[in-house]
Amino acid sequence: MHIQDGILSAQACAAYYGVTAAMVVPGIMEIKRRVEQNPYYKPFLAMVGVAVFVISAMHLPVPVTGSCSHPCGTALAAIIVGPFATVVISTIVLFFQAIFLGHGGITTIGANTVSMGIAGTFAGFFAWKLFRKFRFPIWAAAAVAGFIGDIVTYLVSALQLALSLHGNLPLLKQWMIFFMGYGPTQVPLAIMEAVFTAVVLKAMIEKRPDLLPGILTKKEKVKEEVGHAN
Amino acid sequence: MRTEIPKTDNPPVKWFDGFTRVVLLAMFICLTFIFISAKYMTYHKMEAVGTDDTVNSMASKVTGSPAHPFIDLPGDAQVGAFSIANLCVGLIVGHLWTTLFGRDAEKQQGPRRKDEDDEDVVHEEVIAK
Repeated sequence: MHIQDGILSAQACAAYYGVTAAMVVPGIMEIKRRVEQNPYYKPFLAMVGVAVFVISAMHLPVPVTGSCSHPCGTALAAIIVGPFATVVISTIVLFFQAIFLGHGGITTIGANTVSMGIAGTFAGFFAWKLFRKFRFPIWAAAAVAGFIGDIVTYLVSALQLALSLHGNLPLLKQWMIFFMGYGPTQVPLAIMEAVFTAVVLKAMIEKRPDLLPGILTKKEKVKEEVGHAN
Repeated sequence: MRTEIPKTDNPPVKWFDGFTRVVLLAMFICLTFIFISAKYMTYHKMEAVGTDDTVNSMASKVTGSPAHPFIDLPGDAQVGAFSIANLCVGLIVGHLWTTLFGRDAEKQQGPRRKDEDDEDVVHEEVIAK
């Protein structure tokens, strides 16, 4: 999903920068609010930022297709530090990946943030909220969020390319052409990201539930406390 | 000449506690998967190119002009720039660590009560006498 410089038009780049800026402002406000509530939030946010940087730069080989790709980690970040804060994290992460790792471009930071930091984050977060509303266990809701966050990131990235470059071809056809460049490799990685999200979230809740306020239901909190007491 | 190491009350370091074992196991499994996948792909003459590169090349063919980075550093210069930036940022974050992440005394102890302030004033008056 790291679109390079020189592919999208200047207008498209400017528009994606605008969308990113509009989402970063509430992100900064969310971070300020949560830092006041919980002094541990700031170092925790920094560590989550590092995790998103590493996860989204980690190219894993997929022998089924003979190519490599990377997970995103934004769905997990959205669950544990909040979706708007994850937009801020993603913007910073994509900036550093662009200037130092050559992943993505400077002019396309906005576009890449829209796909990974906004679309993937909010899709994963809404999936998490929806599944939790229907009383799905934490691991199941987290796994679905990880899978959906990953796939939606790549769907939106392919759509961004198709919107700029479809020319005379139908938009849907060009979109699917680009997505098929990602899809076969990304689906196994999305499954892996689902497992990873579920395992990490479950481990964090077992070890440090105090860092994740609002994640457990009252019934689950009582169960955890009883478990710790025993 | 032997140097005597003073005995301290610090507990001995447990190198292979549960957390370390789990992390090492996870690393071993991931690396094994990567090595086996790499061997499989080499054997089947697969290029293992990244999907980002594949799709960016597809997009470049559509635009008709090769995409190139806005800022491009040749060879290992990129690694050098990354290392220097990391070093400086690490030093700055380390220098400001307590300012950034430390809890100030008031937050840690809770706000002072009014009677605590009054006690201090009385104490100072006694010392003055």
